[in-house]
Amino acid sequence: MNRRLAILSVLLRYPDAALRSDLPDIARAIPQAGFRADLAPRLGRLARRLGLGDGLDREEAYVRLFDRGRGTSLHLFEHVHGDTRNRGPAMIELAQVYEQAGFALDARELPDFLPLFLEFCAHTREDVTANLLGQCAPILDALHARLLGRATPDARAYAAVLAAVLAEAGLRPAQQPTSEQERSDAEEFAELDAAWEAEPVVFGPESDPDKQGARAKVGAMIDRLRALRASHAIR
Amino acid sequence: MSHFLDRLTYFRKYAGSFANGHGETTTESRAWEDAYRSRWAHDKVVRSTHGANCTGSCSWKIYVKGGIVTWETQQTDYPRTRPGLPNHEPRGCSRGASYSWYLYSANRVKYPMIRKRLLKLWREAKALHADPVAAWKSIQDDPVKRRDYQQVRGQGGFVRASWDEAEEIVAAANVHTVKRHGPDRVIGFSPIPAMSMVSYAAGSRYLSLIGGVCMSFYDWYCDLPPSSPQTWGEQTDVPESADWYNAGFIMMWGSNVPQTRTPDAHFMAEARYRGTKVVTVTPDYSEASKFADLWLHPKQGTDAALALAMGHVILSEWHAQGRGDYFLDYCRRYSDMPMLVLLTERDGRLVPDRQLRASDLAGNAGEANNPDWKTVAIDDATGNPYIPTGSIGFRWGEQGKWNLEGRDARTLEAVTPRLTLLGNETAPVAFPYFGDGAPEFFNPTALGDTVTHDVPVASVTLADGSSARVATVYDLFLANYGVLRDGRTNYDALAPYTPAWAEAVCGVPRAQIVSVAREFGDNAEKTRGKSMVILGAALNHWYHSDMNYRGIINLLVMCGCIGQSGGGWAHYVGQEKLRPQSGWIPVAFATDWARPPRQQNSTSFWYAHTDQWRYETVQVKDLLSPTAPQPLSGQLIDFNIRAERMGWLPSAPQLARNPLTIAADAEAAGVPVPQYVAQSLKSGALEMSCEDPDHPANWPRNLFVWRSNLLGSSGKGHEYFLKHLLGTQHGVQGKDLGEQGEAKPEEAAWHDEAPKGKLDLLVTLDFRMSTTCMYSDIVLPTATWYEKHDLNTSDMHPFIHPLSAAVDPAWESRTDWAIFRGIAKRFSAMANGHLGKERDVVLTPLMHDSPAELGQTHVIRDWKKGEVEPIPGKTMPSVTVVERDYPNTFARFTALGPLMEKLGNNGKGMAWKTGDEVGFLRHLNGEVEVPGVEGKLARMDTDIDACETLMHLAPETNGHVAVKAWEALGKATGRDHRHLALPKEHEAIRFRDVQAQPRKIISSPIWSGLESEEVCYNAGYTNVHELIPWRTLSGRQQLYQDHPWMLAFGEALCLYRPPVDLRAHQALHNAKPNGHPEVALNFITPHQKWGIHSVYTDNLLMLTLSRGGPIVWISETDAATMGIEDNDWIEAFNANGALCARAVVSQRVPKGMIMMYHAQEKIVNVPGSEITHARGGIHNSVTRATVKPTHMIGGYAQLAYGFNYYGTIGTNRDEFVVVRKMAKVDWMDGPRITPQAADLRAAE
Repeated sequence: MNRRLAILSVLLRYPDAALRSDLPDIARAIPQAGFRADLAPRLGRLARRLGLGDGLDREEAYVRLFDRGRGTSLHLFEHVHGDTRNRGPAMIELAQVYEQAGFALDARELPDFLPLFLEFCAHTREDVTANLLGQCAPILDALHARLLGRATPDARAYAAVLAAVLAEAGLRPAQQPTSEQERSDAEEFAELDAAWEAEPVVFGPESDPDKQGARAKVGAMIDRLRALRASHAIR
Repeated sequence: MSHFLDRLTYFRKYAGSFANGHGETTTESRAWEDAYRSRWAHDKVVRSTHGANCTGSCSWKIYVKGGIVTWETQQTDYPRTRPGLPNHEPRGCSRGASYSWYLYSANRVKYPMIRKRLLKLWREAKALHADPVAAWKSIQDDPVKRRDYQQVRGQGGFVRASWDEAEEIVAAANVHTVKRHGPDRVIGFSPIPAMSMVSYAAGSRYLSLIGGVCMSFYDWYCDLPPSSPQTWGEQTDVPESADWYNAGFIMMWGSNVPQTRTPDAHFMAEARYRGTKVVTVTPDYSEASKFADLWLHPKQGTDAALALAMGHVILSEWHAQGRGDYFLDYCRRYSDMPMLVLLTERDGRLVPDRQLRASDLAGNAGEANNPDWKTVAIDDATGNPYIPTGSIGFRWGEQGKWNLEGRDARTLEAVTPRLTLLGNETAPVAFPYFGDGAPEFFNPTALGDTVTHDVPVASVTLADGSSARVATVYDLFLANYGVLRDGRTNYDALAPYTPAWAEAVCGVPRAQIVSVAREFGDNAEKTRGKSMVILGAALNHWYHSDMNYRGIINLLVMCGCIGQSGGGWAHYVGQEKLRPQSGWIPVAFATDWARPPRQQNSTSFWYAHTDQWRYETVQVKDLLSPTAPQPLSGQLIDFNIRAERMGWLPSAPQLARNPLTIAADAEAAGVPVPQYVAQSLKSGALEMSCEDPDHPANWPRNLFVWRSNLLGSSGKGHEYFLKHLLGTQHGVQGKDLGEQGEAKPEEAAWHDEAPKGKLDLLVTLDFRMSTTCMYSDIVLPTATWYEKHDLNTSDMHPFIHPLSAAVDPAWESRTDWAIFRGIAKRFSAMANGHLGKERDVVLTPLMHDSPAELGQTHVIRDWKKGEVEPIPGKTMPSVTVVERDYPNTFARFTALGPLMEKLGNNGKGMAWKTGDEVGFLRHLNGEVEVPGVEGKLARMDTDIDACETLMHLAPETNGHVAVKAWEALGKATGRDHRHLALPKEHEAIRFRDVQAQPRKIISSPIWSGLESEEVCYNAGYTNVHELIPWRTLSGRQQLYQDHPWMLAFGEALCLYRPPVDLRAHQALHNAKPNGHPEVALNFITPHQKWGIHSVYTDNLLMLTLSRGGPIVWISETDAATMGIEDNDWIEAFNANGALCARAVVSQRVPKGMIMMYHAQEKIVNVPGSEITHARGGIHNSVTRATVKPTHMIGGYAQLAYGFNYYGTIGTNRDEFVVVRKMAKVDWMDGPRITPQAADLRAAE
């Protein structure tokens, strides 16, 4: 099994409560999965970002990116056959690939849904995976570029997943985040890290609201997060 | 030696080449072809269709491979027609062929979606309240929370949800609303059941079981031509498209057949091959014009002038000359032309009043039953007045004389009525004339507000011994047309309604008017009525559409074309023909469990509840006739309120109190509920909601929209919906009456502050993310048309055929049936502890096709003004107590209730027993027990169960029922009609039958045409050939409308009424300049080529064929004035709002109009408006609904309410917009800018 592809599949799932509860495990698995050195931290930040703040905000961002419109759809053939009759036969062909490899579709999803496709790639023979990823590379690359172009931190965070999938095919995306974007993300993530890695909040006797201490820490953390959100809200 | 041994006898050799070397035979492998064979191979083909309300109703083959829909092609297996008539197939067009795109499109709604802010509030509330109903209440009781999610409607922000959570919220909202405000605050809008009748029924059954309100659509869409109920007592009945082939002369008038009836257009081409002459009447050079031998192009909105002038010619050259026995005989037998009209002296002149009745004559002329409702004619042989059989008084309270046999009701002798009193003395009679009042951009005349004609009159002695002057409708009719009775013609006189006059008003040369009219009449006379007019929305969406339509109906009646094969009135606007209607009604409105259901006419509802009435610019005084019999004051909303409280139109919500609380109060007071309601209304203790639509007690609270794109398509006054009903960002530019300091309504309570956000919850079911979905709080993913079982019928062909599930619903989507079934289940469980068995007080208007249609007399009395006592069902709405069993809503939803056996079934005034059919359904669908009901009931658990139920109960799909229905009708007419269905008595069409092949339906008295092997379906056929009366006052085609409001508004007879000035563009013209010239243009919204309503206008295949986004069409002249080139971005705006689109500059369009195809989605390539600073709107962003009082009349024979039969209509053609080139096209894809900031930026 290709653990990296399995992780990437999970990261592209809808960030509902179930996924959010798995995020700590995912975050721990990322550094050990053997991702390329420049990718692992970016993926780690995505995992952290998905756990950040109100989960509904992340869900909303996911819906806006992937559930609405064609541009950054996670259905691969939307980007090649989207508006033609070739799409049906292409999906059938892909479904047959899964079948021949001994996998039966067990979800109310189409065969070309990227997380589903990645799960298959993670679990099938390496040569099959290499072949499939090679074929999809142009689509993945285009999707990566579009995500970068969306100019939101959420979209850029997800772009890292696409870059990592391309890396599995031994490729680098044609387009890289601009240095401005990199700096902005890095700043945000640094602040994020700082915010979250501040001293742990202690519950119990020390959390007595009358005592300065725990409460102040929580308050400070919330303030930092609020400032952070405000400074990034427009992007 | 002979070569015979060398010669081949039984073979020939493959030649190397043939066809002079152009062809060559080789033996190389053809295995490569297999690639193509497998490319097009499939596992199965499933029959389905498209529920797009396009009227095509084409059957399609859906190809499925590996569980995936791959493509579709047209079915070609419709039952054959008879020899000499082309077949129906092939049907289908490019739009249908691209439908499979939607199934897997990125635009598909894949999961239940909920507005994030609402979901967040919900989860917080649920954490505090274990009871979901209490949780919903806590949100609604907090105005801050309510505004929090209302104000971002339409601005994205959805998250996925589980079905469990979505159903929980919907059910909690419904339970809370029923309990707190009343069930009539839960509203459902879904249109056009014919396109997928079970999907419609799913929602309407749920709503009807809980006491919610189902909204009409036909009138709201302005597809309903009110002139049809006015003239025939019939919603709409039209010829199937095959009957075009039988016509000798066709006028295609404001109906773009090749573009909007694409699958039927081949009959038009075939008719032309047969030799049918075609005249097309459209202001623009539309695609239909290309079918024409002659193209007439009147100025838009002046069609009535053209029709009246053509009528003038035919009346002058046939009727006034006594020519055309066929015409005269037809008019005598089948129209009210021989009926007598009282003439009244008013303001020193003689004016036509109401039709004379038996009750006006001594001893009620021997008619004890309903003498007020029996019209009077003169016996041609004796010259004496008599009561002809067939008028509506004979329909109720007695049997056997409601027919068109032309007998004297007293003697039962056949009598010839006298058509004209010519030869008697004449008297000058005044007729109203409105042509002088034409607004700017139309051609006013200067002829005065009345025209006086000499009319032959007679005297009759009235019951009180006095003498009255009367005239026949026929003589008044001819006089109104300005026809000379002395054998001369006056075509060149500038007087209503001559060809010369029409030329001045509508611009069509008089010579063309005369020649077309002559050919139309000549053909009709020679063929006995095979002249046909195909007409449509272009005429029907005007404020005074009645006049356009009545002008054309008059033409057809004076030429004897209605009810004749190959002739008649072919109005095609919307897929109205729900053929198995009377089998469907019990399923759809749960009349198997409780009667009556709550039904509401939408136009009046939206007009009130989106507060469009607060901005009304049309004054009643400008509409009234100079010959009006009594002073009528107030605003349009006041007329609607009067109509509601007198029981003419329905109300929703109904009373300013929860209707579940009233029965108990009545009991406590010891008074029967109807009496209690009447007394409380009179004393003022109880008020009707309509009198204060802005009071929170009267707001609609929950709205379901399914199978519809209410906000992206049909919502006239779109921006008012956004502002007041939804409470979100809007583009309304105008000020309301209060802000303008105008006079306020007399009947409607005025609140200085208008409500913003009346709706607590908007739930939309759709398969695609439509504009309506974008504005909803909860979006539920439905199955597409290839993922569900359902039924489909149309006006255009006589078949019933299915939608079938080719594949399972994709992602989390479910069929409409499954969704409402699920909500019903959740609601039932949640109701426990909040709602039990409840007594619901339901108000119903005086219904057409029931004895209540004789509810009011020819004098209007308003109980509110003390003119009469409030008497339920007579002078006010009927009051019924309906028992609800809320915890058993689901059990009732899934079983056919006991009333079908107890009370039987009915339709259009006929009633029959249906126990046998229910018994059959028990065997077919299985049996089920429902708590509180003795015995077992037929199960109706699945969509197929529902299909089987409705088809087995309907006369059109079950021969046994058809025979029973014809028998029921025979009792009223005294004639045996069973022969029309007996040959098909044992035919009963089942769901699997129609999946195998479309099936032709069975002739039924619900409809006025026949499904026979001899004639094509044509409306009015059984009236003419079976002598069944039309369901009107006179029982004939009613050309004279004598209700007091009709007289008041001058519309007793058809006349020309110019478009109304809606005063929407003037204040905005040059008020917010952007540097480009501005021109005011008439805003016209025809149906398009690349979409059916808004479906397909978001389909990439169709967008690719057009311009990929919103477009408007303008003339070269106007474009030059505004400096606009083809494909430039323009903005059109007025007081109602603004829209942005690209310009198509075309010679097709005449100067002075701008055309925007109906319902292009707001979600596809729409930039920001320079006027509103919000995203440019939809076509309805610049419209506002305006209601017409004559459409509110009720309790008066054919002018009585019926769901989708009658009521105010959502007109939008009279609108003008200011148009200019856009200075800056802003795609609004940057950070959000507030309007204030945008104004600042613009100032810089």
